Amino acid sequence: MKLLFNFLIFPGFLFSVIVGLMACWVDRKVSARLQWRVGPPWYQNFVDIIKLWGKETIVPEDAKVTFLFAPYIGLLSLVLVATILGRALIWPQSGFSADLIVVFYLLAIPAISLIIGSSSSRNPLASVGASREMKLVLSYELPFILSIIAVIIKSGGAIQLETILNSQSLFKSHIASLSGTLAFAVAIFCAMGKSGLGPFEISEAEQEIMGGTLIEYSGVPLSVFKLNKALMLYVMPVFLTMLFLGKDLSPVFMSLKFVMILVIFILVKNTNPRMRIDQAMRFFWIYMTIPAVLAVALAVFGL
Amino acid sequence: MFNSLYRHFFKLDALSSFVALGIIVFSALTLVYSLRFMRGHKQLIQYYTYILFSALASILAVLSNNLILLLACWGFLGLTLYLLILMGEEQPAAAATAKKAFVIVGGSDSLMLLGIGILYFLTGTFWMDNIKIPLAGGGAGILPVAAYLCIAVACFAKAGAMPFHSWIPDCAETAPIPVVAFLPASLDKLLGIYLLARVSLHLFVMNQAMNTFLMVVGTFTIIAAVAMAMVQHNLKRLLGYHAVSQVGYMVLGIGTGNPIGIAGGLFHMLNNAVYKSCLFFTAGNVEYRAKTAELDELGGLAKSLPITYISCLVASLSISGVPPFNGFVSKWMIYQGLISSFQSSGSKVQALVSVFCLVVALFGSGLTLASFMKLLHAVFLGQRTNSQTQSSRNEVPLTMWLPCVILAALCVVFGIFAYQVPLKLFIFPAVEGVLFLGTWQAVVSTLLVGAGLILGLWLFNLKGVKPVMRQDTAFIGGEPVDLTEVRVTGTGFYDSVKNFGMLKSIYRKAETGCFDIYEQGKKLFSLSKVFQYLHNGVLPTYLVWMLLGMLGLFFVLAR
Repeated sequence: MKLLFNFLIFPGFLFSVIVGLMACWVDRKVSARLQWRVGPPWYQNFVDIIKLWGKETIVPEDAKVTFLFAPYIGLLSLVLVATILGRALIWPQSGFSADLIVVFYLLAIPAISLIIGSSSSRNPLASVGASREMKLVLSYELPFILSIIAVIIKSGGAIQLETILNSQSLFKSHIASLSGTLAFAVAIFCAMGKSGLGPFEISEAEQEIMGGTLIEYSGVPLSVFKLNKALMLYVMPVFLTMLFLGKDLSPVFMSLKFVMILVIFILVKNTNPRMRIDQAMRFFWIYMTIPAVLAVALAVFGL
Repeated sequence: MFNSLYRHFFKLDALSSFVALGIIVFSALTLVYSLRFMRGHKQLIQYYTYILFSALASILAVLSNNLILLLACWGFLGLTLYLLILMGEEQPAAAATAKKAFVIVGGSDSLMLLGIGILYFLTGTFWMDNIKIPLAGGGAGILPVAAYLCIAVACFAKAGAMPFHSWIPDCAETAPIPVVAFLPASLDKLLGIYLLARVSLHLFVMNQAMNTFLMVVGTFTIIAAVAMAMVQHNLKRLLGYHAVSQVGYMVLGIGTGNPIGIAGGLFHMLNNAVYKSCLFFTAGNVEYRAKTAELDELGGLAKSLPITYISCLVASLSISGVPPFNGFVSKWMIYQGLISSFQSSGSKVQALVSVFCLVVALFGSGLTLASFMKLLHAVFLGQRTNSQTQSSRNEVPLTMWLPCVILAALCVVFGIFAYQVPLKLFIFPAVEGVLFLGTWQAVVSTLLVGAGLILGLWLFNLKGVKPVMRQDTAFIGGEPVDLTEVRVTGTGFYDSVKNFGMLKSIYRKAETGCFDIYEQGKKLFSLSKVFQYLHNGVLPTYLVWMLLGMLGLFFVLAR
């Protein structure tokens, strides 16, 4: 019962959605200020979501089931990750947990659901979006795996989240070393790719393929995909904080670190135009993978 | 009398019994599937005979305690494989593939004979119970290593690990689908990996170098085969390359040499047989309805084949290792095996090898996912072709979708109840001392997600919250699009990957058969053309040679 409460209310659904939507607001507000606009009020994202619930849901012909279910599966797996991370942070010995590899795999499900959902819609532009999304997943997955493995090596081969946090609070944060810094820098960009932010907003590309993967979505399912993006903005910074900045995770420091990573996201987003998919592949497979490999090699040699 | 004979020649332990059980289940499903799929084939009696003989020979091979008996059954399986591939519809291609499979599998069998001979020389016995020799040391020099390698090559060729894989994609393309689902996809994997595990765990004492060799072979197989699978344009050929790539995980798991990795490898063998046969069966359903397996000519079949679509979706997610399906659990165990081999590694080089294998295995799973997203898009989702404009429900007959559904259900059950069912019943009795490094509470997690889903559905069905739903066609720029005209087929999905820098030239070489051991072997054997020239079948030529020979002989003798 407590687990269900965790899943639905506190570290899980309600809490993470609220924090995620607030993070989206920070993103919009800062972007607006950078572009000399005023920006929306703090409740704008909540209003947007609630507005979508009142709209008509248009379903394309064929493959209705996967079209409608895909967004929910993505959302629920993200909520599961949020619950796992939250419990590992707050109640480390609580019995329900999962390790790093599981979290890594669960984090891939939103992208899968986006691809399956959008291909179910039969729209050619959605197909283009799905193809791009998959290639983007392939691109960031390689450096992301490497940077996660650098963390595993630095914690002495531990994959339990609690053990990784412990080893950091006993010694020092993983970022406070050469390999840790490299891996963290790589992981930041991979996390941005995962959340589809800024230069990696390739699969949606509103000006180019009209929302791509989301082109046929409307009403409630669209709002769920928007929630997915908001949750990503909560889950990814928390995940990175736990992996690399785990020295002191009291609520105040936790929120500071969270905001810091968020600000890095927003700055990168606002200073870089959207890439083409082949540029993104080159960026991740060459310019990100080389430092990541270096980080892993350094970690093996204990640097 | 029978009992003592049985005791003498056969051995039923935890490892062989679950493999034998798997063989029986997959044979039964294949027979059910064939009832409809093979109807109207010319040689039905032979077909069923060969299938039953293969099942019998596989069970004998798995249960046998005698190396000679094992070798005989193993060789017999090569023969039935040849005969079954020969049943394919497109005749010249099927015959060529059958020959290729027979040459590779049969050639490796002869190596296995050599290996068994060396084993007999070393130990003086054919009973597998009595053999236990260390690979290095013991004064035997290189011989144990040679014996191990010879038998390992036979396992690799049977299961399809690189570089002995090249018969599998060809076979997948030309042989009848039930045959592919039966032999290369399930039985040959079970047998090959069973023997590899038996040899590595019970017959030899492995050392670090040999384990590293297995790990490298596994890793290479994973990445190279999956990279080829990504760019295939034929549904069956694509699945064939995945049948190769998955072997890599099993070899990798066994190569880690620690209990969790070996258990993961064996569990992956079982899981792979489940989802790979399911995928081949669904491919058969698609071919049965659409009369083609070219991805370009397929599309939008989800509506007409809903059951096939859902089974294929489940099996695709399993093979890509998405939680909570079964493929995830076994891959996760293999990763833990790699991490614990990293932890226990003595030297930095050893640690780097483990890390490298881990990275490649994780990334290979991402590539698998990518190629299955392409498959789902190209076959079931996406836009329809002109020739398949009918969109009404048109599912295949019961005996064809039932095996798919059973296997898809197994994927789910083996994934969610992994600890309770397959691991507890089959794997843990066979491998002792399995220690998990991480935790994954599959049942609780699935329950949570399920609860969330049900809660969401209930909320949306409440009065006043229930959204207004409407169905409409796809629009672009405010106008409905003609989906049969504007198609994005799956074949172009990864062109930008294919054209990526260095990969481009590797792909081009692979397409010309540069990495195919059979094609390269053919070049080697082209030396025999000289002898071919001499044997032209013209009597006077032979007489001239005889005369010359006799003259030479007389000259030598009478000198």
